[in-house]
Amino acid sequence: MGEQKRTVSIHVPVLARVEGEGALDLRIEDGDITELRLRIFEPPRFFEKFLEGRHYTEIPDMVARICGICPVAYQVTAAQALEKLFGVELDPWARDMRRVFYCGEWIQSHSLHIHLLAAPDFFGCDNAIELAKIAPEEVRRGLRIQALGNELMELFGARSVHPVGIRVGGFHGAPALSRVEEIREKLRAALPEAEALIRWAAGIAVPQDDQAFVSVAMRHAHDYAIEAGTIATSDGLLIEPEVFDEHFTEQQQAHSTALFGSYRGQPYLVGPLARLNLNHERLPERVKALLDETGLVLPSRNLFHSLVARALEILLALHEALRLLDAYRVPDSPAVPVSPRAGIAIGCTEAPRGLLWHRYEMDDEGRAVNARIVPPTSQNQARIEQDLRLSLLNFGLDHADGALRLHCEKVIRNYDPCISCATHFLRMKVERG
Amino acid sequence: MNQVRIFGIGSPSGDDQAGWLTVDALLAGGMKAGDELVIEKLDRPGAGLIALLDNASWVILVDAMQSGGQPGWIQRYGVNDWPAYCQGLSGHGFGVLNALTLARELGSLPPRLDLYGIEIGGAIPGESPCAEVRASTQKLADIIADELCFISQALPAAAGSGDDGNATFHKTIIRK
Repeated sequence: MGEQKRTVSIHVPVLARVEGEGALDLRIEDGDITELRLRIFEPPRFFEKFLEGRHYTEIPDMVARICGICPVAYQVTAAQALEKLFGVELDPWARDMRRVFYCGEWIQSHSLHIHLLAAPDFFGCDNAIELAKIAPEEVRRGLRIQALGNELMELFGARSVHPVGIRVGGFHGAPALSRVEEIREKLRAALPEAEALIRWAAGIAVPQDDQAFVSVAMRHAHDYAIEAGTIATSDGLLIEPEVFDEHFTEQQQAHSTALFGSYRGQPYLVGPLARLNLNHERLPERVKALLDETGLVLPSRNLFHSLVARALEILLALHEALRLLDAYRVPDSPAVPVSPRAGIAIGCTEAPRGLLWHRYEMDDEGRAVNARIVPPTSQNQARIEQDLRLSLLNFGLDHADGALRLHCEKVIRNYDPCISCATHFLRMKVERG
Repeated sequence: MNQVRIFGIGSPSGDDQAGWLTVDALLAGGMKAGDELVIEKLDRPGAGLIALLDNASWVILVDAMQSGGQPGWIQRYGVNDWPAYCQGLSGHGFGVLNALTLARELGSLPPRLDLYGIEIGGAIPGESPCAEVRASTQKLADIIADELCFISQALPAAAGSGDDGNATFHKTIIRK
């Protein structure tokens, strides 16, 4: 046909309406992508530096301030790291309730992402308000599920944003049985709603995309790993969190203030789809049945399956919370005594967005000498760039600019990075050659 | 009457505490929360605000706003004249007006909703609210208290009415 290949330069100077500041640069010349950079330029927050000199009793509350959506992940990971170093053996009650607390966060975070951020894209809507016009019952259901997740977080954390429930050694307090009984009924009532959500999510038409990547997630001997386990990869690595540094590296890139994670020199995936790929056989039977019903074949190499993966994890979290709360008792004490000691503390859990790794060097008075936190979004950043490139080529570069932009947004949102906390964040300036 | 709920929305950042300070002023003035009158401070509730509107008869929201006016300016908005919204101070890009608009779309707004905005200057972490904003929060608290008083006195006599809800409401908001 001799069709002239166009040159498109898409510069997104500010990703608006986001939690965090970033940008996307995309340049297409003669039918090829010549530049693709997801730039995160949010000023460094120096959180790790803030932690230096802080007493171990302050650390869980301080790290909870890192994220308004997943504060429990930060609290649990920090407490777990310090408890391991201090030789603290949690009471089984506290161990179970940490998992329940964490389930609350998965429920609210995943439901928020599905209904308010991701789903509108697939229905041709600009935002959740437009989605509510065509799917009001589904949006109402999503809000109910999200609210229940928040309520579960409030049960143990006193509030759902930046909760304050966790302390090194357990919890600051234990909820009364009457409150637990009340929330158990709500969890039970939510099970059919979560099942309906999975069916709805599985019925959403998503692009067909097939990419090779390594999935990385925690793995537990019996449970679907959330707050405890070892680190596993889809190419066979199985390691303790203590040696994470020997296998995973972080590098600076000139265009981003977030570090880029790599494994064996390559990008890798963390998050719900990575977890499902590696741990689906650990799902409770009822969740497995729903997974079978969706027809989703695992491991999946299509990141657009992340939405249904989140829906499945909501049902898992409801089942887990209910299972553990059915055996609830008020403990004699919500925490065990703690004596600090010097050394290296390492903790690792599965935040809603993926693997979260903490390392603290502590002195013998229980103060942090230094701290290092590896969040899921920085681990996924290189993978997002790789995915954008492959997915755009698969999608076709000759689409109109608006379609290209929307496709980029959908790809980025699959990862639910903190910078995706907006529904449509790419403002384009297009230059044609 | 069912529940009346007053929510002061804000954050710890400078003038953005305006909603919280209004709640403080209401409580300091003697208004008491109870079964029929909820008075709470909210920290950037996002979509969670929608659930807080459930089964309320009347919701009063107080939030900081930046419209280019003088700090301390108070504006009241009804459900049909919410201001245009660019980018809020709330986290995760889902602010109060997003939540209210979604609630309206879902038919979840209460029968009466009053949204008060207090014009602010800076919302800077660690800073105290400016004097103009402080003065306005006290003024707004007085306006809200007077209106609640007026409405409650216009209700049928509580005592012996058999309507415990009205009785509680009436008793709760008389503060002067």
